[in-house]
Amino acid sequence: MNMAESFISALQSVKANKMRSFLTMLGIIIGISSVITIVSIGQGGKEAIMGEFDNLGTNVINVNVKSLEGGIEDRDYLTLKDAQLVKDKIPEVVAVVPAAGAMGYMKTEKEKKFSEIDCITHEFNKLMKVEMLAGRFLSEGDVEAARNVIVIDEITAKKLFKGPEDAVGQRIKVTINDNNTNFTIIGVSENAGGSMAAMFGDNYPGTGYVPITIRERIMPNVQISLFSVLLENMDNANEVAAKIVRLLEQSHRNEGKYAAEEGFKELDMLNNVINIFTMVIGAIAGISLVVGGIGVMNIMLVSVTERTREIGIRKALGAKNKDILLQFLTESLILCLIGGIIGMSLGITLGIVVGKIINIPLRISPLVILLAVGFSSAVGIFFGLYPANKAAKLDPIEALRYE
Amino acid sequence: MIIRVENLTKVYDTGAIQVKALSNVSLSIERKEYVAIMGASGSGKSTLMNILGCLDRLTDGKYILDNVDVSTLSDNELAVIRNKKIGFVFQAFNLLPRLSALGNVELPMVYAGLSKSDRRQKAKAALEKVGLGDRMHHRPNELSGGQKQRVAIARALVNDPAIILADEPTGNLDTKSSEEIMNIFEGLNNEGVTIVMVTHERDIAQHTKRAVVFRDGEIISDKQIENRIIRGGSSK
Ligand SMILES: Nc1ncnc2c1ncn2[C@@H]1O[C@H](COP(=O)(O)OP(=O)(O)OP(=O)(O)O)[C@@H](O)[C@H]1O
Ligand SMILES: [Mg+2]
Repeated sequence: MNMAESFISALQSVKANKMRSFLTMLGIIIGISSVITIVSIGQGGKEAIMGEFDNLGTNVINVNVKSLEGGIEDRDYLTLKDAQLVKDKIPEVVAVVPAAGAMGYMKTEKEKKFSEIDCITHEFNKLMKVEMLAGRFLSEGDVEAARNVIVIDEITAKKLFKGPEDAVGQRIKVTINDNNTNFTIIGVSENAGGSMAAMFGDNYPGTGYVPITIRERIMPNVQISLFSVLLENMDNANEVAAKIVRLLEQSHRNEGKYAAEEGFKELDMLNNVINIFTMVIGAIAGISLVVGGIGVMNIMLVSVTERTREIGIRKALGAKNKDILLQFLTESLILCLIGGIIGMSLGITLGIVVGKIINIPLRISPLVILLAVGFSSAVGIFFGLYPANKAAKLDPIEALRYE
Repeated sequence: MIIRVENLTKVYDTGAIQVKALSNVSLSIERKEYVAIMGASGSGKSTLMNILGCLDRLTDGKYILDNVDVSTLSDNELAVIRNKKIGFVFQAFNLLPRLSALGNVELPMVYAGLSKSDRRQKAKAALEKVGLGDRMHHRPNELSGGQKQRVAIARALVNDPAIILADEPTGNLDTKSSEEIMNIFEGLNNEGVTIVMVTHERDIAQHTKRAVVFRDGEIISDKQIENRIIRGGSSK
């Protein structure tokens, strides 16, 4: 009997006991569908959250001015010279972006928008991708010549002007602590706040990027407290971080004022939390799969007992042990496989529904199908083996005599 | 010589007691013979049939089937012998209830590894031979006792076995159906098929050519049948 035929014959005997087969499959269906629902939602949720951070570069060390011992004095703050120094002295460093930020207003004659104003350099978009909707980002020239130019974001452009295209080339006033400066808008970027900004709508603060070289003009009270340092790779990030801190301490003749850490540590942690969450719930779903498998084994044992006489007849007609083994193994495989396929459809449906409710885009990888088919086959074979072997080993005479 | 049994002994070991079902049985059966095995209940007839059919193993002695010493074969080899050389007909029919008549007759060929179309064709021919050409797609529960037994005979025949072993094939049948089965056997035997049949009934045995009588696991008589009943219809 070839594979296709034994499949068909197994299918027929599964069909002969529809209700029982269905109840047996139920464990597998629940197991597989919950595994798939959870994995899909977990994956989708993870990608949604990671998507928020998608624009972030990864090979970044952040150097902060720390206020632990004895407070921070003016001479401890970072300077543009420090930035140049770090870049020149440490070969692993690709770029240093000094940053200073303050909250304030961007104003036209008629409107104003509460915003964060970030003083940065043109290399900022090496740290995180800034998608431009219109115009351009800050250039090296803007920074070197300390021009009064600004890149605003979409919500600001919409609030103050007709939109991104309209905003470029217009002039605005930036007010920080009663300090007014006029700027020319050179570009409009996507909202820096990502989907958070979308969620809060108009009330979410806007963002404006200006060259760091005009910091003293627009926010004289705000010092540079952060360097984002881009490295070629993170292979020996800790050593490089220590080198940077030492260099800064030498230059400022102080100690214990700077902290350097990986830029996106929090991201890794979040990632780990989601992974652990998915794994734990996945394990619980896995247990239900095992319970389902035991159900299959139970029914297969019943089926072997019920069909003892059939086994005897088949053996009398020339079936070898392996033929009987294969027959029952195919049946439990089919049972689990059908359960797996139903479970998969149910899991995907459930994932879509739940994803809609909690507003997470579902991520169904083809791996999921492989997972469902693989897992249910494995369960079918594993838990079918014992009953099938029991059937195969029956003595033909005793099986024939069985009432 | 198709069957040669020498000093065959079969002991059932039930743990507490040992039952000697056959002791020192020697028997030879030639090709094309038609033998009735007779004897009281419990005399060892079925035990002998099971051993002849390679379903059970002997305790002591020798069994040569078609020039092969069967007592030394493995389980798998015995399965092949059952498949190729032996056709069983049981008192309780032993058809698989879920399969049609055709499906039941195909079964031995499934294990012989024949292709689907070959099986179909041969099973149809066998069913036609036993007069069930019009019942091929019926399930066992849609057939009468006699018809079921004819399906079983078709199934026993279909792999062209060296011998047909029938253990009380008419035990569950009325007189008319029994006669039909006997006619079929007689026809087959006339075509050269070797048949060994267990029966209680003298007039059933009367259809065969030779009667071997058992008592308490031993052969007490073995002789040719005189005054055989030969039905006109089937001995053509
Ligand atoms: N599996 C078994 N275990 C123990 N004893 C058995 C077994 N099978 C048969 N016997 C014993 O062996 C003896 C012969 O039994 P067997 O079935 O061969 O008789 P039989 O001639 O076929 O009888 P019947 O005409 O009633 O079918 C009996 O005493 C029986 O009790
Ligand atoms: Mg008997």
